Amino acid sequence: MDKRMVRFGNKPQIAFFDFACCEGCQLSVLQLEEHLLDMLNHVDVVTWREAMSEQSNDYDIAFCEGSITREEDVERIRAIREQASILVTLGSCASGGCHNDLKNQWPMAEMLDLVYGDMAEHFDTIPSRPITAVVDVDYRTYGCPVSLPEFVTVVKRILTGQRYEPPNQPVCVECKLNDHLCVYEKGLVCLGPVTRCGCGAICTQFGDPCRGCRGLMDAANLEAAVKALTREQAHSIVRRVVERYRFTEEEIEAKLRIYNNWPELKLEESVANDD
Amino acid sequence: MPTELVMPHEAVERFFGRLIDEGPVMGPRERVSQPGFIHFDWLSDAADLRLNYQTTTIPPKKAFFPPREVLFEFELTDPLKITAVREAESFTLVGVHPCDLAALRMLDDAYAREPAEACWPANRARARVIGVDCMPDEYCFCTSTDSCYSRAACDLFLTPIERGYLVEVLTPAGEDMLRVSDVSEATDEDREQAEAFRREKAGAMTARLDATPEELAEILESEEHTELWKEIASRCYSCGSCNTTCPTCFCFDINDEFDLGLTGGRRMRSWDSCQLAEFALVAGGHNFRRLRWQRVRHRWYRKFVYLYRTFGRPYCTGCGRCSRACTADINIVDVTNEIINRARERDRQGVQG
Repeated sequence: MDKRMVRFGNKPQIAFFDFACCEGCQLSVLQLEEHLLDMLNHVDVVTWREAMSEQSNDYDIAFCEGSITREEDVERIRAIREQASILVTLGSCASGGCHNDLKNQWPMAEMLDLVYGDMAEHFDTIPSRPITAVVDVDYRTYGCPVSLPEFVTVVKRILTGQRYEPPNQPVCVECKLNDHLCVYEKGLVCLGPVTRCGCGAICTQFGDPCRGCRGLMDAANLEAAVKALTREQAHSIVRRVVERYRFTEEEIEAKLRIYNNWPELKLEESVANDD
Repeated sequence: MPTELVMPHEAVERFFGRLIDEGPVMGPRERVSQPGFIHFDWLSDAADLRLNYQTTTIPPKKAFFPPREVLFEFELTDPLKITAVREAESFTLVGVHPCDLAALRMLDDAYAREPAEACWPANRARARVIGVDCMPDEYCFCTSTDSCYSRAACDLFLTPIERGYLVEVLTPAGEDMLRVSDVSEATDEDREQAEAFRREKAGAMTARLDATPEELAEILESEEHTELWKEIASRCYSCGSCNTTCPTCFCFDINDEFDLGLTGGRRMRSWDSCQLAEFALVAGGHNFRRLRWQRVRHRWYRKFVYLYRTFGRPYCTGCGRCSRACTADINIVDVTNEIINRARERDRQGVQG
């Protein structure tokens, strides 16, 4: 027995579960490849649909991805919560909000018709929400797909019995420490200034803007976003973006909503500045 | 008066090529994957050096204090095994503008103050520095911060002239670097051209602070300007880019990182920022600067009051990086002048009333 493993007597059994999502988070974790071998020194994987055929309902740690979009999902995540000593949400769908939640802007019946047409009556749907909105969660990881450095950190924290507080800093911090060109200079709109970091600013490293997949950081200044991006003129790094797009408040709201629509994003309510 | 020599154009690449042959050289160069983006990085070919660059996002302090670094590695054996991670090689930092030279000296002073920091002086001691003069853009205001003509922390300083560079030899290490180079004595004509370059530089500076450092410190000390700070805070993302691009910011954070095998790991250090909500959060949950406007104000007080009172000069070099990097369009010169003007306006009304 590993004496550093404070929570578990034996190797803990871990399981991966998916809810409404693309299963991209599970696949991303598989990409850890050789790092997984280190992890397997400390855990036994008993369920992982994307990686193995075996399944088991006897597990200690559950990694759950995806959104809750049906009544049966609610029952299923509650059962998982019941079994697992530790529940970890994997990625933004499960932890904060993601594309699935966009459907909440329209009536559910309309959505059912749109997707299933004549067969709509056979399906059930409820407004989409992250797992964190339904059950208590011990650890959260963000990203679309999940940020692998954060996943690894969380695994280490679990195994050493430590808490994990997701970083509450914007992506700009990591981007600047990477010493990369600010994509605003290229005339691209980047959500880095309001988005929770922890991804290593991977998109801007490759010249892409941040699309905000890790969700808004706490106390993100959306009033600043509106003021910076809707202005008529700017003399600084935002100049090209301002001149090129002529954003309206609605357009900024739409951009932010993609990963932040649970509960429904309402800019005029959230712009009340700071604390 | 330092020795002044002339390095002709045709000798420049040869000179830096020889430095690169001798040991590691860091200088401004274009990033291959980001055309037009100049940053300080290690050079393998003198042809990559861009001595006439405008500015960089991250200042050259990164040569001595990297944005992220490993302080030591540890293994959880009994007894605990700790291995220091030290780069023993000396190196040369080239192409440093006067504002950034001034900043290096400021960080020398700041880190030397008790409790002294150990890594910075160790890294500085094994490095040679070559400065180069530059022309300002709309964000530069180094004539207001006494760093326009800085030769601090510098072994050689280059000023562009017609036939190459006028080279000021400021230290024995600088003299040593030139020992087999094709340099000649500067003529009065060369000196006059260098002087003309410096005049043109100062003349081209469009941004300036409307008060002396002492006046500014007094204005900031005398009034809290709470409403003004709140106005600026409403536009501020608290993204920290003003700190992470600043050549004189020296705060850092330290974290221990385990390997996934859980048998060891490393102690990491990275740049920190007083604009981030968690910066002044302490155990027990109290945050000394919970509100955004308090953090915004703190930056101005830090640069122009606290460190000014401690070290006798503002901890701002007028490099303009914070203004360039701000996606909220908050310009340090505009805000500072607004503070100055509001204080003076209030004084005038006070006298009249």
